[in-house]
Amino acid sequence: MKTNTCSVSLSINGEKKTFATRPDEKLLDLLRREGYKGTKYGCGQGTCGACTVIMDGRAVYACLLYAMQAEGRKVRTIESMGTYDKPAPIQQELVAAGAVQCGYCIPGIIMSATALMEAEKDISDETAKEYMDGNLCRCTGYEKIWVALRRTIDRAAAEPKKKASAKGGKK
Amino acid sequence: MKLCEFIRPASLAQARAALRKLGPKGMPLAGGTALHFMPGKAPVSAVDITGLGLSYIRQKGAFFEIGAATPLSDIQRHRGPRWAMHEICRRISTHQIRNVSTIGGNIARVFPWADLPVVLLAMNARLVIYSGKMKEMGADEYFSSQPARLFRGGDLLAAVKIPVLKAHHGFGSVKAARNAAAFSMVTIAALLELKDGKIADARVAAGSAIPFPKRLPSVEAALIGKEPSAEVFRAAAALAGADAKWCKQEGMSAEYVANLAEVSIVDALERAAEFARGRTA
Amino acid sequence: MKRHELAKHLKQVNHSVTKIDAMQLALGKDSYVADFLPKDALVIKMLWSPHAHARIKKMDVSRAEKMPGVKCVLWHGNVPRIVHCTAGQGYPEPSPYDTFMFDNKVRFVGDRVAAVAAETEEQALAALEAIKVEYEVLKPVFTLDEAMAPGAPVIHDEPEAHVPIPITYEPKKNLVAHVACEAGSFKKGMAEADFTFDQTYETPYAQHCPIEPYTSMAQITPAGRILITTSTQVPFHCRRIVARTLGIPVQKIRVVKPRIGGGFGCKQEILLEDVTAMMALRTGRPCLWRFDREETFRTGRTRHPFHIRLRAGVKKDGTITAIGLECINNTGAYGGHGLTVVSCSGGKTLPLYHCDNILFDGKSYYTNLPVGGAYRGFGATQAFFAIESLMDHMAEAIGMDPLKFRQINHIRPGEGSPIFQALGEGREGLPMTVGSNALGECIVQGAEAAGWEKRQDWRKKTGRYRRGIGMCCLMQGSSIPDIDMGAATIKINEDGSFNLNVGATDLGTGSDTVLAQIAAEELETTTDKMIVYSSDTDMTPFDVGAYASSTTYLSGEAVRKAAADAKRQILATGAEMLGLKPEEVHCEDAHVLNADGSKKVSYSDIANYSLYQKNQYQIIGTASHITKKSPPPFAAHFAEVEVDTLTGFVKVLNYVSTIDCGTAVNPTLCEGQTEGGTLNGISYALTEEYLFDETGKMQNASFADYHIYSMRDRPNIKAILVPSYEDTGPFGAKSVSEICINGPAPAIGNAIYNATGARLNEFPFTPEKVLKAIKAVKK
Repeated sequence: MKTNTCSVSLSINGEKKTFATRPDEKLLDLLRREGYKGTKYGCGQGTCGACTVIMDGRAVYACLLYAMQAEGRKVRTIESMGTYDKPAPIQQELVAAGAVQCGYCIPGIIMSATALMEAEKDISDETAKEYMDGNLCRCTGYEKIWVALRRTIDRAAAEPKKKASAKGGKK
Repeated sequence: MKLCEFIRPASLAQARAALRKLGPKGMPLAGGTALHFMPGKAPVSAVDITGLGLSYIRQKGAFFEIGAATPLSDIQRHRGPRWAMHEICRRISTHQIRNVSTIGGNIARVFPWADLPVVLLAMNARLVIYSGKMKEMGADEYFSSQPARLFRGGDLLAAVKIPVLKAHHGFGSVKAARNAAAFSMVTIAALLELKDGKIADARVAAGSAIPFPKRLPSVEAALIGKEPSAEVFRAAAALAGADAKWCKQEGMSAEYVANLAEVSIVDALERAAEFARGRTA
Repeated sequence: MKRHELAKHLKQVNHSVTKIDAMQLALGKDSYVADFLPKDALVIKMLWSPHAHARIKKMDVSRAEKMPGVKCVLWHGNVPRIVHCTAGQGYPEPSPYDTFMFDNKVRFVGDRVAAVAAETEEQALAALEAIKVEYEVLKPVFTLDEAMAPGAPVIHDEPEAHVPIPITYEPKKNLVAHVACEAGSFKKGMAEADFTFDQTYETPYAQHCPIEPYTSMAQITPAGRILITTSTQVPFHCRRIVARTLGIPVQKIRVVKPRIGGGFGCKQEILLEDVTAMMALRTGRPCLWRFDREETFRTGRTRHPFHIRLRAGVKKDGTITAIGLECINNTGAYGGHGLTVVSCSGGKTLPLYHCDNILFDGKSYYTNLPVGGAYRGFGATQAFFAIESLMDHMAEAIGMDPLKFRQINHIRPGEGSPIFQALGEGREGLPMTVGSNALGECIVQGAEAAGWEKRQDWRKKTGRYRRGIGMCCLMQGSSIPDIDMGAATIKINEDGSFNLNVGATDLGTGSDTVLAQIAAEELETTTDKMIVYSSDTDMTPFDVGAYASSTTYLSGEAVRKAAADAKRQILATGAEMLGLKPEEVHCEDAHVLNADGSKKVSYSDIANYSLYQKNQYQIIGTASHITKKSPPPFAAHFAEVEVDTLTGFVKVLNYVSTIDCGTAVNPTLCEGQTEGGTLNGISYALTEEYLFDETGKMQNASFADYHIYSMRDRPNIKAILVPSYEDTGPFGAKSVSEICINGPAPAIGNAIYNATGARLNEFPFTPEKVLKAIKAVKK
């Protein structure tokens, strides 16, 4: 069986990159081999959410997407979200709430939560749950994750101006 | 399904030409999720149709037109006058899937568990197919058998047109599933047209527990001319067995699924009647 | 001070310190096995048996060996044939030695046939297809009845199959284990009863579903040793079992456990490491083997399905006169944990209620289905479904509120049970009386939170959707007494920080944090001064691993003792520096000081003094711990459900999970354990199921078809920690993590009954089963 090699150009965490790939390589495999290992393999079937990344503002499963589907897109991974010195608010809240048990689902949870908060305003519980239904966690029962998510959302809602200016600054 | 090539056509015409040339070795790709359910070890060439301007929702006269490459999450988030499509879209799989899976992908090749064909059959949607030029087809004809048959020559699904519901129209759908993201055990959709307190017209469709989605003509016939009441709905739903042979699902017997389908038909009809009476979705 | 307030004065323990690795994991730093994959690693893929029961007549791997990228093929023709047990238990294991790295017989769909290591996954998969296998298909055994039938096909007919300790094992009859005991006279007890009951119950297969699948990597170190980095709960058992299976010395192997993406018991098994190690040895290259999700379901370990017969007698006044519990588990194709799981189904349940006449009989049988293993709750989960369902049944018969019936019967502090001694794990247990026990308070607080007082008889309910409330009481244990051992070492650094090295295995539970809190409490310093390193067979002391609810109670006490050892040295050196006698000083706030605080020296100064200045030595404490008790945590659970009486769909509206885990070392983490285990138990009760086809192949081996809950499905769960103080545990602590999973099946079953009058003796409570039971209800 012969498969062609090809290349894909995309922006990862704000950096323009070009990679050699194959037409049937999954985005998850490309990301992990290129060092973005915070994105996890959990099922390879597009069901658990451990591989969630944000592509053009939407949470997607990197294990289902072919790398070639990311051509010209903006992909964001957990590596862009925060550092020890400056964790993102959702990271702070998850840690503070005790929502990180084994932690394997957490990068995906963070990416879905980020997509939610960037896409929606006045986020109801129902909307939040619909955005989060593709991320499975077997450790926590979601209670602490839910508390952390709700706190992050409410925190952001309480200081809308600050958030807007920080976002503007990034661009 | 394995890919050996990734082609990015610049226009619908180019996409069609590429698919014509590739024949069975070619596969249109939008979200790409359906490919994971397709058997076959021979690798195919993917023809990416996401760059062809097929992702949109707009109202055109008496129809909402949805581009074939529109992701389900866009349909879920869309709001319009008497718009009802979001109800089923929010019940399909998970958020990440809804973000990439498209309406076209959901209905160009119908899998037994697909929900949208059921809804489109009930809504009497029209399907726009590109075959060098645009042509339209009613849902009944389109879903009369596996729609993949229509695309073997490289033709492509371009859009789905959904009638804008009128004031006296009501629509309701029910998806019975084990949990929020699970595949459907039974999906039922119903469209009711009420006139002078009676059911003037009815379209009821089912899917998931039967090999292929279909309308339920006996149920529809039992509704027309009657008042939209619980007894009428129950009597009509009891006739569903004449239209569909329900299959066992998830370890549960066909008899149970038949019962579940009947209850779901009544529920869908009640939602449709409620909608027609002015419930805002 | 009241007993349960003894932990109130503590400064580190009984506080919700932030989990020490939480930020690392939230930032997505390299943490798990696959994150450490070297660039030149080979990928391992396994050819699995398509047959439930077959002999391999002929096999040809020569074509596969010549395929592009293929570096090694392993099969029964080229590996040592060494019988062993894959269960990660104490040694010698109370489980049969019935497994080979590869065998010429396959015993379930998903059994090993041959492994390939290749440069890429595609190449490995292509090579698997090139392996030719000729099977002689044998008659499979799919049910307990088939397994027990005279003349049944013998699943383990190999001559090597044996148990390493003197316990019942009759592979010719497919019998893996048999354990029985009687206290008092069951027969007499039944004769004394006003009402007697005889019910059978069935509990299903289930998988643990850690989000990180089984993953293991092996590489050859420059010194020629094998380094196994693996997602395991039992690194030391892993080293021992791999050494045996490969026929190499323990000395040649180092097992490292990095962060683990969940285990819940399924990683208490040596399922991958022997092959990854052998591949690394044969190729000299790093080798990674990761199960995909389907493999995790089919070949990974599962919860043993149980067939249970429960008989009981009760007097009108609520006295339970007799309990007869007969459990038979289906251990699948291999027998690891078969005996211990069935023993725990009696040992961890029967002491809960007063009864003078108890009969227990537990058996374990092979079948040609997926393999049972350790799973959170471990036997108690299955038996409590039967016991707590019957408790409601009995209460109804005598016309007593089921809550009150439990209140008058449950075990009190200071009481013992003959069962503690009669049923151990693999051998007799130890006599024990219960010390800490806040079950009474758990019931009271849970009932209040769940609104028990508004509960109505099901006969008063009408309409399509009916609500009901059900409850249950639970116990578990804390470690295996006289068998499990944990050890810890702690040493001081110049800045007053400490390296805490433990064999105890944090698999995502937060035990590293809990152990750090215990060390900090004992050392009178703060938790953030602890650098915890867990589970590396070269670098940390031994620990049996994370199972049997042992880490906080057993390893925690080892840590406390090690810290006390280090503290003695700190006091001695501090006293020396202050010119005082050791008995004149004490530790406080990371200092050594005299009674009035006028003279003091910091831990940092003490470390510098002892390392550099005078009478130099390393302040280092080390300790081991075994227990003589296995104090049970207790819990009362309450479920409120809504049943659709037309479809049989059940929705959990509210769930209250109380727990008495002694002192909650870290209350937030204890809540997290309780909430997570409870939700797992809820989906186990309602939606999780193994569906097999006629060949014995699991049909729903994906998260799309095997339904665990998402955030959108989750009901409200309220965890309530009810404090007690366990004198034998570190700072009053006992175990927390397993007990919570045992409640939902009986509590929801009882709630369905309260809603509809439908009593289900089998779960998961699928809509069809519920509807059928509702239709059978006679008002």
